[in-house]
Amino acid sequence: MGWIHDGLQSFLELRLLAPAMCTDGSFRPLIATLLLLVALQAYADGPVVVVMSAASGVDRLTREEVVNIFLGRFRQLPNGQSALPVDQPRDPGLFSDFYGQLVDKTPAEIRSYWSRLRFSGKTAPPEQAPSEQEMLQFLASNPGSLGYLRAGQQPAQVKVVFNLGD
Amino acid sequence: MTQPSGRQLHVVEGLMLLLLASAMVGPASAMDFSLSGFGTLGAARSTDESAQFVRDLSHPDGLTEQWSLNTDSVLGLQADLNIRPEWSATLQAVSHYRPDGGFEPEITWAFLGFDPNPSWSLRAGRLGIEFYMLADSRLVGYSYLTVRPPVDYYGTLPFSYVDGMDISATWPFAGGLLRGKLYGGLSREQSPWDQLQFDMSESLLLGGYLDYQKGPWQVRLGQTSVRFANDLPLEDFYAALPEATADELRVKDHWSHFSSLGIVYDAGPLQTQLMLSKTFNEHGTFEDTWSGYLVLGYRVQDWTPFVGVSAAKSAPADLQYAIPGYTDAYQSNFHTDQGTYFIGTRWDFRPGMALKAQVDVIRGDPSSTFLYRWENEEWDGSMTVFSLSWNFVF
Repeated sequence: MGWIHDGLQSFLELRLLAPAMCTDGSFRPLIATLLLLVALQAYADGPVVVVMSAASGVDRLTREEVVNIFLGRFRQLPNGQSALPVDQPRDPGLFSDFYGQLVDKTPAEIRSYWSRLRFSGKTAPPEQAPSEQEMLQFLASNPGSLGYLRAGQQPAQVKVVFNLGD
Repeated sequence: MTQPSGRQLHVVEGLMLLLLASAMVGPASAMDFSLSGFGTLGAARSTDESAQFVRDLSHPDGLTEQWSLNTDSVLGLQADLNIRPEWSATLQAVSHYRPDGGFEPEITWAFLGFDPNPSWSLRAGRLGIEFYMLADSRLVGYSYLTVRPPVDYYGTLPFSYVDGMDISATWPFAGGLLRGKLYGGLSREQSPWDQLQFDMSESLLLGGYLDYQKGPWQVRLGQTSVRFANDLPLEDFYAALPEATADELRVKDHWSHFSSLGIVYDAGPLQTQLMLSKTFNEHGTFEDTWSGYLVLGYRVQDWTPFVGVSAAKSAPADLQYAIPGYTDAYQSNFHTDQGTYFIGTRWDFRPGMALKAQVDVIRGDPSSTFLYRWENEEWDGSMTVFSLSWNFVF
């Protein structure tokens, strides 16, 4: 379970950094606790999984394929079909965890990356779904489309093609 | 001044056409229209009054000891129309400091795109030129780490777009992605030359690159050639020279070639770029130049501090019909021999906005003048540049 490892690592790094960040000893426990809460918050909801419609005909994707599709480098599925990724920017926690677990990039870095491609007329960013429900509807009506969810929350009409916690 | 209003009219016409097209197709089809934009408000100053630092050779003047907003400030607006899955249309207008010293907006992108499948992409119209890696997004400050693209490397390029077309293809190869692109078109731009303008319009640009990306690594080999359609605005000087000598110096109908290598390593918080280029000229004016830069950045939460180094060195062409005292003095206008150390940070303080601060320490030979404007006898080749910028996208 890579995400537990990552979570622990973040916690340990922050715990080690915390004493150095404050000169007044009395604030240390408080700051350490706050940092711990922040670290745990980022992983509280667990890993993110990439899902496709159960009727898509795709069973499994590699991490490289998911990166290529979501970052617009090469949007083709293993069966030759065009891939159509869907983001959920209105769920900042999910958006942040998805790109953090996929390529270790922050939402600001992802936005910066897309500003380069968008304003040089290249690939368009993923479709923007306002909610998980709309993402699922989009997946149902577009067989080549991919979205993401928290692990263990996927409804029956979609299947997990990649688990970012693996 | 009919020029600027004409330009603005084109922007409005283009936007109306896009809106009209989107209204005609209606909301039922897989089509979306979006408006977006980018901008930079940048302030910079140097520590030297004996030469003016410019961002690139399209600027008629540059930095002095006074803070100036001209060098880095930009505002861009873009309209995109996507007709899934194959067609797209893009129109971009940008206002930034121009060769004539004004800020009138100009159309920097206006093209129709056709992507028949995930591998192939064709575009025709007004297109940014990927002269070097990242060269087609030099104005989008939000998209990169430094305040401006390293001047030793990108500064000699007054070209940013052509009217023409490009074609690119991407294939999976050996666990990574292999991408190739070919482009060609005619320039429509100008470059200031003292009080005059070097008219580059109708100059032909042709080029391409081969790119391989695997995991955090990306490597690109590029080649672009330019055939100038006009001479520098120095007819009196050329006319005073013997014909054989003047012919060696004229750039009209002669080629300049630009070869480049870019290596990017981008893994999580670490960003690294190494770029190298070599130019070769089939005339005696612009000097053959080596240039390169290395930049390293490391993200710590919302902050990404960076350090880098860049350098450029050129050599004048050996003229067959040189006239000592005249041709060498002329060629010295195009000489570069300098290096820059830079350090700074980017702070992504809120979504879609970043503040940057940077210090450039330039150390060069007093003969290094090509990348500056209005240098005088006191110019010693060295200066320091301080820059602050606020970058945003919307």
